[in-house]
Amino acid sequence: MKVFQMQCKTEIIRVLRNRYFVFWSLVMPILFYYIFTNVVNKNAPDLAEWQAHYLMSMTVFSVMGSSMMTLGIRMVQERSQGWSTFIRITPLSDGVYFAAQMVGQSVIHAFSITIIFIAGALINDVSLTAAEWVMSGAWILLGSLPFLAIGTLVGMMKKVETAAGVSNVLYMVLAITGGLWMPLEIMPKMMQAIGKWLPSYNFGNGAWEIVRGNMPDWKNILVLIAYLVLFMLLSKYIRRKQEAV
Amino acid sequence: MNAILTLTNVTKSFQHKTAVNNVSFSIGQGEVVAILGPNGAGKTTTISMILGLLKPTAGEIRLFNLEPHEKQVREKIGTMLQEVSVMTGLKVREILQLIRSYYPKPLDLEELINLTGLTEQDLKTRAEKLSGGQKRRLSFALALAGNPELIIFDEPTVGMDITSRNRFWHTVRALTEQGKTIIFSTHYLQEADDAADRIFLFKDGSIVADGTPQQIKARISKQSVSFIVDPELSLEKLYLHSEIDDIYRKDNRVYVQSTNTDRVLELIFQEKIGARDIQIERGKLEEAFEQLTGNDKEAI
Ligand SMILES: Nc1ncnc2c1ncn2[C@@H]1O[C@H](COP(=O)(O)OP(=O)(O)OP(=O)(O)O)[C@@H](O)[C@H]1O
Ligand SMILES: [Mg+2]
Repeated sequence: MKVFQMQCKTEIIRVLRNRYFVFWSLVMPILFYYIFTNVVNKNAPDLAEWQAHYLMSMTVFSVMGSSMMTLGIRMVQERSQGWSTFIRITPLSDGVYFAAQMVGQSVIHAFSITIIFIAGALINDVSLTAAEWVMSGAWILLGSLPFLAIGTLVGMMKKVETAAGVSNVLYMVLAITGGLWMPLEIMPKMMQAIGKWLPSYNFGNGAWEIVRGNMPDWKNILVLIAYLVLFMLLSKYIRRKQEAV
Repeated sequence: MNAILTLTNVTKSFQHKTAVNNVSFSIGQGEVVAILGPNGAGKTTTISMILGLLKPTAGEIRLFNLEPHEKQVREKIGTMLQEVSVMTGLKVREILQLIRSYYPKPLDLEELINLTGLTEQDLKTRAEKLSGGQKRRLSFALALAGNPELIIFDEPTVGMDITSRNRFWHTVRALTEQGKTIIFSTHYLQEADDAADRIFLFKDGSIVADGTPQQIKARISKQSVSFIVDPELSLEKLYLHSEIDDIYRKDNRVYVQSTNTDRVLELIFQEKIGARDIQIERGKLEEAFEQLTGNDKEAI
């Protein structure tokens, strides 16, 4: 237990010290939020709803990014630099190591969510009911699981450069096509049809529904679970193939 | 003696290459073993198998009577790998605390710092900002963090300055006095000669010699007596004695080869050839190393 706590604490410290994390997961989403709600689109028909909607978009954007990139790239780094080899010689079990990474990552996400929510409340006076704040926060925390699974897939790549490149592109594509930057409604029909089946849209939509006073759609939950299962199976398959060599 | 580590007919083949070929040995508690051999002889591969990082293609490895990958084994071993690596984003002190927490009976942090010569400044530095030699020191500290019974070092002193190197061997001696078992590989033969009480000489994946440094040196049995003498003087007289195998001149000195150097000394004085600055040349580890690991055409 002591080992687990120590490991979690370490993971959290390391993420917070990572400048890329602070920039991409905290500074950028808040900056975008300010620009898109106060400079670009300040005459939306229902301003309060738009401000709450976009706050969710940016929080989802932030958590999705750190799920896919922080974890994955670090895994590649530790492996290519030989640190994982050293860890394998210590008594630390793989299970504890993996669990600590997941828990540490989730604590980081809870932290990002809180910071961005507070920023939204301060910048635009976004006011939701206590239940809505808590529910949307919890949704974003849980909905990040399929993206953490993508992170472990990224973590299986051989080179840091490939991992960073691939995850960055995937991140941006998923964010745009999932309607996190611009609402899906203003995109071409074709894009909308595809977007509705992407994990990023379903991740975002749950939170958007909550701030409109609704519950996340069943379809959102099912699609995310399906992606989670898919990515986990894929990562299991790849790991087995890599071990066989 | 209690065997801590046993290898039985261990072989490791990669796709096109047999890196370790049918190696067997057994190491008892408290032994200090040096693994020597030219580049690519199979030292790192053997060490990796002992550490459970590679699976042998054939044969068996037992540590403390268990398989290498078992947790009880890992709690009792510490290691410095050939490729040193550190965890980024953490200060040295934080890494040490983290790794210590993995072990049931870790070494005291203060003691760890004293043993390895990490400075107060090092402890506050982020691991990725350490110099190569400082990283080695950290890596040494990590190897000792769990207070291991068996310590394995793969070329530990590469990149260390003289002070660090002396300190390293000083600490290793202190550890041996505590009854720790130590296995290390090195390309510095003097280190093996000084620190080890047993040497394995690897060549092409096999052990070609296993013994104390003295035994290994004796294997070349090319002892000689050397001295300076008037170059005009004929050494004809010495040749007449059957105990003398060979006589040659090198660098202004005369070398007289024989298995019995005492007898050579007697003869030198008996024949009154006026030899000065007489030295007995024992076989050096370098010579043994070259002879035993040299190309096959030399050996024939
Ligand atoms: N993963 C691998 N795949 C294929 N061949 C390998 C692999 N690892 C090692 N070898 C080969 O096995 C042989 C032994 O390598 P090893 O690293 O054990 O040598 P070493 O004695 O440690 O050498 P050095 O003194 O250079 O460290 C070499 O010929 C090397 O090319
Ligand atoms: Mg090696």
